[in-house]
Amino acid sequence: MAVNEKNILNRLYFISGCMFVFGVAVLFKLFSIQFLQGEKYRALADTRVVKNVKIPANRGNVYSVKGNLLATSVPKYDVRIDLLTPTTSTFEEYLIPLSDSLAKYSGRSSGYYQKTLRKERANRNRYFLLARNVGYGDYIRLRNFPLLRLGAFKGGLIVEQTTKREHPMGAIAQRSIGYERFDEDGNVTRAGIDGAFGVKYLRGTDGQRRKQKIGKGQWKPLSDANEIEPKDGYDVYTTIDVNIQDIAHHALLKQLEEYEADHGCVVVMEAKTGEIRAISNLGRNENGKYYERLNYAVGEAHEPGSTFKVMALMAALEDKVVDTSTVINTGLGYKQFYGRGIYDTHGHGKISVARTLEVSSNIGLATIVDQGYAKQPQKFVNHLQDWGLDKPLGLPILGEGEPVIPKPGDKLWSRNALPSMAYGYNLKLTPLQTLTFYNAIANNGVMVKPRFIREVKELDQVVESFDEVEEGDKICSEKTLKEIQNILKHVVERGTGRSLYSPYFSMAGKTGTAQTEYWMKDWKENRRYISSFAGYFPADNPKYSCIVVIHKPSVKKGYYGADVTGPVFKRIAQKIHTDTPIIDEVQTLEVKRASVEKEFNSFYETAQTYKTIMPNVVGLPAMDAVALLENMQVSIKVKLQGSGVVKSQSIDKNIKLKDNQTIVLTAS
Amino acid sequence: MVRNTHRHFKFDWITIILFLLLAGFGWINIISASHVGEEINYFDFSQPYGKQLIFIFLTFILIVLLLAIDAKFYERFSSVIYIISMVSLLGLFVFGKNVNGATSWYGIGGMTIQPSEFAKMATALAVAKYVSDLNTNIKNFKDQIQVFIIIIIPALLVLLQNDTGSTIVYGAFFFVLYREGLPKIYLNIGVSLIFISILSLKFGGLFTTIAAGILIFGYYFLNKRRSNILLIIAVFLLSAGASFGIKFFYNSVLQPHQKDRISLWLRLEKDPEKLERMKQTFAYNLNESEKAIGSGGFTGRGFMEGTRTTGKFVPEQHTDYIFSTVGEEWGFFGSTMVVILFVLLLLRILHLAELQKSQFSRVYGYSVAAIIFVHFFINIGMVMGLIPTIGIPLPLFSYGGSGLWAFTILIFIFIKLDSNRINEW
Repeated sequence: MAVNEKNILNRLYFISGCMFVFGVAVLFKLFSIQFLQGEKYRALADTRVVKNVKIPANRGNVYSVKGNLLATSVPKYDVRIDLLTPTTSTFEEYLIPLSDSLAKYSGRSSGYYQKTLRKERANRNRYFLLARNVGYGDYIRLRNFPLLRLGAFKGGLIVEQTTKREHPMGAIAQRSIGYERFDEDGNVTRAGIDGAFGVKYLRGTDGQRRKQKIGKGQWKPLSDANEIEPKDGYDVYTTIDVNIQDIAHHALLKQLEEYEADHGCVVVMEAKTGEIRAISNLGRNENGKYYERLNYAVGEAHEPGSTFKVMALMAALEDKVVDTSTVINTGLGYKQFYGRGIYDTHGHGKISVARTLEVSSNIGLATIVDQGYAKQPQKFVNHLQDWGLDKPLGLPILGEGEPVIPKPGDKLWSRNALPSMAYGYNLKLTPLQTLTFYNAIANNGVMVKPRFIREVKELDQVVESFDEVEEGDKICSEKTLKEIQNILKHVVERGTGRSLYSPYFSMAGKTGTAQTEYWMKDWKENRRYISSFAGYFPADNPKYSCIVVIHKPSVKKGYYGADVTGPVFKRIAQKIHTDTPIIDEVQTLEVKRASVEKEFNSFYETAQTYKTIMPNVVGLPAMDAVALLENMQVSIKVKLQGSGVVKSQSIDKNIKLKDNQTIVLTAS
Repeated sequence: MVRNTHRHFKFDWITIILFLLLAGFGWINIISASHVGEEINYFDFSQPYGKQLIFIFLTFILIVLLLAIDAKFYERFSSVIYIISMVSLLGLFVFGKNVNGATSWYGIGGMTIQPSEFAKMATALAVAKYVSDLNTNIKNFKDQIQVFIIIIIPALLVLLQNDTGSTIVYGAFFFVLYREGLPKIYLNIGVSLIFISILSLKFGGLFTTIAAGILIFGYYFLNKRRSNILLIIAVFLLSAGASFGIKFFYNSVLQPHQKDRISLWLRLEKDPEKLERMKQTFAYNLNESEKAIGSGGFTGRGFMEGTRTTGKFVPEQHTDYIFSTVGEEWGFFGSTMVVILFVLLLLRILHLAELQKSQFSRVYGYSVAAIIFVHFFINIGMVMGLIPTIGIPLPLFSYGGSGLWAFTILIFIFIKLDSNRINEW
């Protein structure tokens, strides 16, 4: 047993030793932290409590061409409460009044709030949300509720201000006005004007302020001034006209709904300047409703179809391979080119070149281009390149679609390429590109770059202004231009667009009906089209050019450009036409505010009734009350205490007044 | 005898006084760490310090009850207590409430109870009962396995509830069994594994294998009594296997947050960017706690004067990080006192345990000391960065009713057992 005893004793020493050694280790570490490295930790403890706090700059506004707000930043408040800050007695005292106020504010019951607040306090919730994203008015109201009124240190009020970007115009042009969003990792998603000009103009520079931590979540500024003053962003004045935008939006929306189309876009451009007056992009969601989803007008390059015939014919007329009166045999509506058939909707027989465009004959245009350029295809392509159709427009807005114009030697090039291109296939353009070209026709052959913004301002100071940019020489000779303009006018008067004709105002343009997704197997059962209409108005002295593109309308309801998109164009043209006043009339109306008038009437009535008898002046503005009393038939003295609205009067109403009597009014 | 001769007060007053000093000083620090605002109402029972006051008050009732029960009760009913405790742990899987990622609480009304705190006491009773059984010989492999099962059941249950800290506490029973005659080989294996793990993680498997080889074969050749060469080779191969296996365990078994804690502790992470990120996330607590302790100096800043404490810089300061409050407000002096109080309590319990005549009381006493020691070791080590971050409370100090009561029960059962010895004297 002796050995065992000794063994046990050793083990006991080992265990006690472990504990003792650890005790010593702890003391040594304590010594190390508090003395050897104490200075370091103390310094750290002091430095880490100071930090630079970002003062976000106010983002600039986006305005329409007439100064309407399109996008602006408004402060929003999250109001919370730290339920542990109030002492038990304070909490109990204010719980019911606070719950009552909250109930009135939110519509929930007071009992709900009493229960919830009590529960959350028991759960030690120090960050209980009372209201999220409320405006300034509501915030002031909440701040004055019982308990919250006591402030952060006694009542536990926590207020967090955030800035929200709002679009006062609502869904209209939302996509083109756009946004700039930041996620938690600092990645940015940008869309439209707000996104495109965010970095350069709207964002501004954030300021900085050094603050010291004085408690949990409490920071006190170290100096009176900011270390770096925030510099607010500039305001961007766009070219969007709210009225035209509204017209375009609703005209497009109505048609999309009627034709149950997948998506569509409208762009209205001022002919002389290239300023975009309206741009609307609507796409359908799963529920069949339409929203500004993607910027189709800028971003979606697709086969344009018949609207491209104008470009093809202009090239042919410029190169004099045909004349407008040259006769083309379009036959019975079917003709083979290099083994591939091209169809017209019905046979037009022998017609003039001008007429081929008016009736939009595929065979006609294919014949013209094929005859004229089969031996020198590059010459045809050169025209398209000269007009800049093979390159993006170079807009500041991100996500511009890439156009495709094949040239001899390309993968896309074949013998059939030329006849196909003649009526708008085998190439891709964005709606805005097509519009830019049509606008040049409207603008006497001068091509101008589309513009979305006009000026950038800091308060009233213009920081930068954007003038029109002309793209190269005129697109064609005066003669060709006049011929094309004439044909486009005739399209509406007697061609494919004749259903749009109105004797009251003139329009010129070209319909387009392109097959899309025809390479997919189910096309025969489920035919899909892109309807479009591009043109300008008034036809003789064009003010605006406009393009309407609608993708995949319900075939049962119609798909021809003249039926689907033409009416949108007409509605816009008609509305703008009627909305444009001929003379600017300035009317000055004498507008009286109803409430002011009512107040005055009651005052007058009282003054007339009570000439020697004390009237009731409680509730009247103090100055009105004094005036009323001093103008009575008896001469009395009025003493006013305080200012504002009268709270009480020293003599009750209906009591007869004597001369030299003194009346004391108390106001708050 | 110096002891009070009055029969009802033959308790070990030194242990009781140490207990009261620790709980009382703990409460003072909880006040500092948890009060909000300027005014303090010590009886504001919605605040942690107010609640803790109630817990402490209830503790006294608990103590009276514990001391009133006959000492034999604890031994006789140890199995029942153990089974009830295990059932309550199992019940958590169904009725448990999740707090901070661990499903360790029952919510009853506004209160929460953490059965894992009480399970330690129940396990201590069960181990004491089993080891003190006349038929048990801890040198037998079969009995070792059985006692191991008693310990591993609660350890696994709390591990499954994501309470890694409490699982490690069950390692405390190793000390107990060692004292009761568990063969040395377990100690050797345990210590070797810890060394191999640290070396292998820090310097790689190959280095560790070579180092182990030099040590083992050096021992073989230098020792005059030549051991069996085959055994030596087997030991070497096992060490080599462990050296490489540990890396696999670290990479494939441990969860990312556990890996991060170990890598910070062993300073494995060299990428400054990742280090900075660690400092802002999980190492933030440690960093803040070190700063708080560091700013204490020799005498500390005084009660309720610590800026880091009153400013609520250290997260969880009234629970797991309570020692940082001591460090800041009471300085080196106060912290040393706390350490000394704990060491005194531990040594006193060990001393009393050795005096026990009944093996049950002795084993239980050892368990009490070992459990408190492991808590103390892990908690203080964590708060000061001596060991990786493992979240368990500081006994008697940290805020929380379950913890306080569990340790009260643990200690006072032993005091009752001890008084029985005195009474029988």
